[in-house]
Amino acid sequence: MEASSSSAGPAPPPPNIPPSGDRTVWADASQLVAAACADLQDGELVHGENFSLFAAMSALEIMDPKMDSGIERSGYYSIEEAIEDGIAPVPLSLDRTLDIQRTLDVIDHLFSCEATWHKGHTLAQTVFTCIYLMKMERISSHAVLNSFCRILRATCNAVVAVVSTARTHEEEDLFTMSFGLPLKDEGDDKCLSVLNSVEETVSRQLRACKSHALSKRKTLEGLESLQDNPDVEEGYCRALLCRLRFRKHFHHVVTCLRRPHGRGLDLARKHVASCLSELSLMLKSQEFLKSQSNITLQQGDESCTTASGCRPFGFDVSLNSRLMSAAPPRAVKILTWSDALGYFEKLLRDLDVICSLSLDPVLENVLHFIAQFQKSVPDLVPRAFLQTLLVQDGKLYGRDLFCDVISRALSLPDIIGDKEFQMNEFVVQLGQLVINLLKILCTNTAWQRRKLGKSLQDWSTISIQLELALKREFGETRNVLDHENMCMRVSKQLLVWTQEQTYWVASRFLILGFELDLYSPSEYCMVYWYMHVVFIKLIEKMQLRILASNENGSARRKGKKKKDHSKDSARDAAFSSSCLLLQCYVLLSEGLSMLLAVLRNEGKSFLLPTIFNTEQERFLQHFDLLQKARIPEHITYYSFKESAAQAHMADVMKYNFFKEIQKIIPSLKGSFASEPEKLAELRQIEQVAEHNRIALNIINSVGVGDPSLRVSFEFTHHPHFAVAVVKRS
Amino acid sequence: MSAAVMPAAAPTERVESSSGEAEIAYVSYGGEQHLPLVMSLVDAELSEPYSIFTYRYFVYLWPQLTFLAFDAKEGKCVGTVVCKMGEHRGAFRGYIAMLVVLKAYRGRGIATELVTRSIRVMMESGCEEVTLEAEVTNKGALALYGRLGFIRAKRLYRYYLNGVDAFRLKLLFPRLDLGLPPMMMGDERDDQLIDSPYL
Repeated sequence: MEASSSSAGPAPPPPNIPPSGDRTVWADASQLVAAACADLQDGELVHGENFSLFAAMSALEIMDPKMDSGIERSGYYSIEEAIEDGIAPVPLSLDRTLDIQRTLDVIDHLFSCEATWHKGHTLAQTVFTCIYLMKMERISSHAVLNSFCRILRATCNAVVAVVSTARTHEEEDLFTMSFGLPLKDEGDDKCLSVLNSVEETVSRQLRACKSHALSKRKTLEGLESLQDNPDVEEGYCRALLCRLRFRKHFHHVVTCLRRPHGRGLDLARKHVASCLSELSLMLKSQEFLKSQSNITLQQGDESCTTASGCRPFGFDVSLNSRLMSAAPPRAVKILTWSDALGYFEKLLRDLDVICSLSLDPVLENVLHFIAQFQKSVPDLVPRAFLQTLLVQDGKLYGRDLFCDVISRALSLPDIIGDKEFQMNEFVVQLGQLVINLLKILCTNTAWQRRKLGKSLQDWSTISIQLELALKREFGETRNVLDHENMCMRVSKQLLVWTQEQTYWVASRFLILGFELDLYSPSEYCMVYWYMHVVFIKLIEKMQLRILASNENGSARRKGKKKKDHSKDSARDAAFSSSCLLLQCYVLLSEGLSMLLAVLRNEGKSFLLPTIFNTEQERFLQHFDLLQKARIPEHITYYSFKESAAQAHMADVMKYNFFKEIQKIIPSLKGSFASEPEKLAELRQIEQVAEHNRIALNIINSVGVGDPSLRVSFEFTHHPHFAVAVVKRS
Repeated sequence: MSAAVMPAAAPTERVESSSGEAEIAYVSYGGEQHLPLVMSLVDAELSEPYSIFTYRYFVYLWPQLTFLAFDAKEGKCVGTVVCKMGEHRGAFRGYIAMLVVLKAYRGRGIATELVTRSIRVMMESGCEEVTLEAEVTNKGALALYGRLGFIRAKRLYRYYLNGVDAFRLKLLFPRLDLGLPPMMMGDERDDQLIDSPYL
């Protein structure tokens, strides 16, 4: 590089810039750059062989704060510089009371960082903004901080491992990014025993405080006190103890949940309960900690990340910014302390639900468990735990082969373990589809719906292939050998079961659209219409399956004991109540679809705009994946159009769908008496049916074409089935 | 940067708006002199960071798809739309990259007019569909595009740098041979890099 030819030689680099090294020397390039700039006119671009306009878009403009992660700096070039400047002192104060106060602030801020990380940020910008955590060797003399940081780090490491194993997808990959961070250390295996000894000490100290209080002694004996003021020693002991214990129990929760085959679920549940009680103690400690801290140092409630309200020592948000420099900066706002505790409470409740997993080998129940679990909108961490529990080593719960799971679903206990069945190419493929389905169902709803939609083609393809294979192998023959008869029955049942799963996936794809707010009110008509078609097919396939399994049952029942009959009839009852529930869905969907069609035909409302396209294009787009997979066959836009065009108020009143539901509900309530979640949904359905029935009556009596009528649709009772709200203007 | 005066020779259309409000003139992208106007509007109003290369990519390759709206009286640029179109997995697709209208001028249909002009050009150029992303919280944009016939095709979790979800909005033009389903797209990989608008 040419040195500047002007006067006094190269200027020394400004302070804070690394000095010239052995092989490198700084030189002033200003003139060179100026000359290059002068050479280009406005609008001209330098061309390069591998540098196109398109490629140029990934360029980051240096020093633009929207793009350059490194430009927002605290002023420190390195962590060593920050430490030298006294940002993270050890101990945090020579005054022991201040030291424990500040330690608690660090602990609290770390909780806030951890919750923020879980919510979708990187470790580098949250937990590892803590200098104490980045340089753990420095705090080995500070028992409390050292034990807390060690176990926190070990827990983070374990959680990263679980989420990595689940390998959800790229939208959530910020969570596992930990390059360049000291996430692991050999000392971390001992983190529990290190924590236990500190907990022991503080616990003893608390007991001593309480007995001192009783004897009204004013001095603190022994060297085990946290700090020197006897009046507040008890408060600090309590505050510290619940935080340490939370960490301990949370670490146990993570460890237990990671045990294979779901062996640790019961123990995990106990630790979850302990976590929750320590969490409430943490919340209670806030009053004390706030009263002890310097009022002038306190931040407002909307932004404080500690119980005391004080800003913590030892954190720097920009030191790790160079780790993130490949991407534009993301806004990271650390959760407030109370929001963080709220997050942990929700996390623990979600984990508690997972701990109630009964390791049920019946696939249908597993699918319903996951669907129910997802209703509480769990975050990434609990979802990852559920997924890794369900699918391990290509087996359900790491225990059951999926070919066995499928044969159980076909109600064919005789073929469980049958080698021929296991090796059948369709069974193998279906096993893989089921694994994918379970994993997809554990992802966030937005991603889940897209993946479910794409999987429809795979399910449909296997159905078609199964059908063709059936025809090829068995054709129309009636007189078949016993063995062939069995094969044919198995193949038929496999086909029916596959079709049933396909329609289940299709129905979930459609209803999730409501949860994701993907439909606009003028599209509800076509969506509910398609839903009712899919639900009808689902019921049909379900009933075929029950029929086939009953045939098998009767074939087996010759010579079987009587007690099997009651098992069969219990299963039949469960099937029939599932079918009845689906029937409610059909009635609601059809009712809503027809009501919306009538409002459009006769009330001229909920019309779709037709500037650039028509209703047909919107239909094709929404149901593209279903149509391509022919789910169901022979259903086109014209089927919908005809059906909708024929909707008139008189018909809607005649086939009062909402009234029909009210006839079904009472018996269903009986069947679901022992299942609170299903009862809850029934109540929602009841509400929707009732409100819509009334709305329908009002619209009918006022006259659907009346210009004063204003009808809107709200999801006030059920997330998928809207309620018509009628207003007169 | 001073407010730019409309270039005299550029084709303009004055659109009368409702009583008392400023008259808005719509101009097709005319050249380098328009670029700083587009950039400063977008930089000021939108949260995603774009380098100058991003702007040049769009306005150099598809100038006919970028429109500017001027307050005719003050000669100030008050809105812009920036788009592209091209082959995307077997379909000829338009993409709306940026749409901005100054706060003080919102609610008057300027954005709708800008977008409509661009979509018309796309349609006339043979596009089969048009797509864009919008924040799920951007009620104004969602209503605007909904009125033009866009559907919400997908929801993208935490799509934006500020953590907000996005909708992928799509408008499908009617096919001339009515009754046939749209072209098979093949297996769309849901990799955000591949699905990026920049392809």
